[in-house]
Amino acid sequence: MKYKVLSLVIVLVILSASYALYLYTSNITNNASLPSNNKLQVVTTTTMITDLLKVLGEDAIDVHGLMGPGIDPHSFQATEGDVIKLSNADIIFYNGLHLEGKMADLFEEMSKRNIPTYAVTDAIDKSKLLAGEDNYEGSYDPHIWLDVMLWKDVVVFVTDILVELDSSNAYVYSKNANNYIEELKILHEYVNTVALKVPEEHRVLITAHDAFQYFGIAYGFKVLGLQGLSTETQAGIADVRNLADFICQHKIPAIFIETSVQTRHIEALKEAVQSRNFNVEIGGELFSDSMGDLHEPEGTYIGMVKHNIDTITKALNP
Amino acid sequence: MNNAQMEILILAILTSLTCTLCGTFLVLRKMAMMSDAISHSILAGIAVAYLYTKNIHSPLLIIGATITGLLTVALVEVLKNTNLVSEDSAIGLIFTALFSIGIIIISKYAHNVHLDTDAVLLGEIAFAPFRRLNIGNIDFGPKAFYIIGSILILNILFISLFYKELKISTFDPALAFALGITPGIVHYGLMGVVSITAIGAFDTVGSILVVALMTVPPLTAYLLTNKLKHMILVSGILGILTGVIGYHVASLLDVSISGSMASVAGLIFAIAFIVKVIGVKPLNF
Repeated sequence: MKYKVLSLVIVLVILSASYALYLYTSNITNNASLPSNNKLQVVTTTTMITDLLKVLGEDAIDVHGLMGPGIDPHSFQATEGDVIKLSNADIIFYNGLHLEGKMADLFEEMSKRNIPTYAVTDAIDKSKLLAGEDNYEGSYDPHIWLDVMLWKDVVVFVTDILVELDSSNAYVYSKNANNYIEELKILHEYVNTVALKVPEEHRVLITAHDAFQYFGIAYGFKVLGLQGLSTETQAGIADVRNLADFICQHKIPAIFIETSVQTRHIEALKEAVQSRNFNVEIGGELFSDSMGDLHEPEGTYIGMVKHNIDTITKALNP
Repeated sequence: MNNAQMEILILAILTSLTCTLCGTFLVLRKMAMMSDAISHSILAGIAVAYLYTKNIHSPLLIIGATITGLLTVALVEVLKNTNLVSEDSAIGLIFTALFSIGIIIISKYAHNVHLDTDAVLLGEIAFAPFRRLNIGNIDFGPKAFYIIGSILILNILFISLFYKELKISTFDPALAFALGITPGIVHYGLMGVVSITAIGAFDTVGSILVVALMTVPPLTAYLLTNKLKHMILVSGILGILTGVIGYHVASLLDVSISGSMASVAGLIFAIAFIVKVIGVKPLNF
């Protein structure tokens, strides 16, 4: 027994000594690693942010997006490759407002250690943010990109950060940002004009989860989601019943599925409406928490917004 | 291999040792699913703590989770001791009850908050190297090392101090009782350790990995050995193998690290199972 305890203590001492040595060396190298001449390594979370950084940075930066198309940011699973991306990151952009779940805590922690991490939703004035229905402190609706003008604020915010951090390429960032903001203004006008073609009584957007609130306010749609803001909460029976009644009452022609949310709840809603002797179409797929495939037009932010409004107006127009 | 990757590997080894230690006794006591049960039932504690604090980031939520973990263990014991239901059924009854209470509270009072076990507790081993303990300007390495390290020491202390009691009460509760060991107390002690281990490890490496490491390597070792000490040793070695191979598979395929480790654990079991079926005698050292 004595020998066992002794050997255990020896093992423990050796282990802690080697760990201390490891910490010592890594602390030294950490202090020595000054910004290199290489390209800025930018890590982003959602596909929308990845797209934005690619547009702004062009070839001046390397953008590493963590989430691929069709991924629900809330239930994102990190892979081994993401470890490498994160450990090489010079700067990190994420959405914030709890969209990325617990990952945001990670980024906040990293920012305390002087790794620049930014929640892009910090660009938006708190007064413009919509509260989660429960009105608890710090619970805001994170889906700001669905209002193009709010996303424009994000563009300005991100550009300022890039310019400050990497002044040698400041010209590239500002030039791209100015061009992109013009494009976004045109996009905003486009969405507005197309949205107005939908008769007012049909301007109701019913989707799987409550992602389109900002969109609704910006472009004059009443928005009803089957699930709450979180994609993980379950739709209750009462939610389905109330929505089905609403659809029949107002003769809403179409409801929509989202690419990053399961379709079965929306299908259940369609069946509930049918059982009330009214037919509601599934108007198509909308991109809410994630954009489309990279090789398709919906793989860019602008393409995604266009796809959404085109799909919505096509389905809701009589 | 950069620092972050090496730290994940070390963390995987520490976690494997920790989980297989108490997992061995869970398997022998036919309570392999206890860790899974705890991973679900803690939702109730998190939900109640959230209603009280209204803040997702409050440490009270983790305390709530720990209390529910212990409560799960205690309730299972109470139910099992009535002798009206078996251990596995008791586990099934209690964790579904607590889990559903958690779901009801959330759907009623916190419908629009991103509140679930993921948001509060479930860690991800891939992120562990980025959550570091810093005092002043000095970096003391990943926090997970300290959490898992202390839980590992707790496990080693508990099992080495009460080894005899654990062994007898696991294999022959009647004899244990006759020898003056109260099986109940030893059992509660073990379950308490399991609960703390599970929750601490959930928070640092994620639930799938913890459940896999607590059950699969000990089960594999159970096929290969028939002595308690050997079983602890073999499951520890298999746990480390699982971690190391699993990490490299994840790196090769660029997939989830914990998912890959859990699959490797299953694969090792399958190999051992086939070896056993073909008919190799158990290892006797």
